Amino acid sequence: MPQSLVDILIPTGIMLGIALLLGILIVIVSRVFAVEKNETKEKILEALPGANCGGCGFAGCEGYADYLTKPGANTALCAVGGVDCAREIASILGTEAAIPEKKVAVPRCQGTCEQTSKRYVYLGTSSCHAASGLLGGPNSCTFGCLGFGDCVAACAFGAITIKDGICKIDRALCHGCGQCVKVCPKKLIELMPITATVAVRCQNEWPGARTRKNCSIGCIGCQKCVRSCPQGAISMRESLAVIDQSKCIHCDACVNGCPTHAIAFLRGEPKKQDNHSESLAQEK
Amino acid sequence: MSNTFLIIIFSAILVDNFVLSKFMGICSFLGVSKNLKTAMGMSGAVVCVMLVASAITWPIQHFLLNPLKLGYLQTLVFILVIAALVQMIEMIMKKSMPPLHKALGIYLPLITTNCAVLGVTILNINSNYTFMESMVNALGAGIGFTLSLFLFSGVRSRIDKADVPEALRGLPITLISASLVAVSFLGFKGLVENLFGG
Repeated sequence: MPQSLVDILIPTGIMLGIALLLGILIVIVSRVFAVEKNETKEKILEALPGANCGGCGFAGCEGYADYLTKPGANTALCAVGGVDCAREIASILGTEAAIPEKKVAVPRCQGTCEQTSKRYVYLGTSSCHAASGLLGGPNSCTFGCLGFGDCVAACAFGAITIKDGICKIDRALCHGCGQCVKVCPKKLIELMPITATVAVRCQNEWPGARTRKNCSIGCIGCQKCVRSCPQGAISMRESLAVIDQSKCIHCDACVNGCPTHAIAFLRGEPKKQDNHSESLAQEK
Repeated sequence: MSNTFLIIIFSAILVDNFVLSKFMGICSFLGVSKNLKTAMGMSGAVVCVMLVASAITWPIQHFLLNPLKLGYLQTLVFILVIAALVQMIEMIMKKSMPPLHKALGIYLPLITTNCAVLGVTILNINSNYTFMESMVNALGAGIGFTLSLFLFSGVRSRIDKADVPEALRGLPITLISASLVAVSFLGFKGLVENLFGG
């Protein structure tokens, strides 16, 4: 055999040998160290939305799937997947489905830059938590939205934007996981049933005159809504109106009577329901 | 003897830092330094793979390639071995060390072809290190990688908070700050020789 051919064959043979050896080794290792997968868990994991938002209280969808494989688990914890997801999980597990109530996050503040003023110029770290630590933030109303967007960063679905100095939540994108509720230092985002049509978009508990001075759209505690509500669903906390959504019959009397427009429609216009709540209403 | 080890390990960590002086593994350096948690996960995986890869490739070079005068196959063989090795490590880890696999798992496949890993194995051969010296060098390189990732994730979390001019936002400012961190590492030149009298 000519020398040049040997020079080619030896390295080729060695490469082949190494590759073959490694291939065999990988197969052996994968057999020996095979991990038995939990089939139910895999199926549940597929049924879950995979958003890993943590809204259920577990570390991501995998944590929730782990929990669901245990007997007696609550199938209604996934706010993102909603009704369909709960049903699917229940059919995989062969249990009765617990249907979650679809919720959306609602910011209880409408105090934009126009409605409120600034008490001081804040130049610190661009974070609501940091700003609220400095005398409750630069805003004239210390209950209101600071607008540095801690909630924007927490939202896994891109549903929150900051506009005119306050947060806006897109109801079509919100999955009701509640991550923004947790991070807001002012505790002004609330999870409300998606069927709710009106809300007090303010959480200022100051007396009326002081509220008026600091924000033109805050609740001044005039109690007009309390009197106008036919169901008695509205009560006062200090000088702030609070609506009990379970008693609300969507008559809109409170919105029409509110002199400062602190009580507002959640969907912009009355009686106009978005697709999701319609389908939910049909199911109910 | 121990002096040689000290010189090797400190050179690898500070003077010849793989990322900031030799510019190897820049891809993963920029990719996972966004926050400290992922940075540390990646570093742990790199340290593991560097050590194991050095331990495997050194004998291959000295007992297989050198006797057969096949030194030119070095790069090819090393890449093949490292890639297969990482696959096996991942499988073994998944079975026997699930918590560690959870922490490092997603980063392991990423570094099969990380040039820092290939770099350290080839440098071990080129510098004529003994087996023990190779291992020490690999450990130092891994710690150096960890150090640079740790420092840079801190820098990046500051950049996130800073008001960066619009044209420089994102990757440009990241690269600029990476180069500044690299310049600061130039200050270590000559340090090890003077400390340990190499």
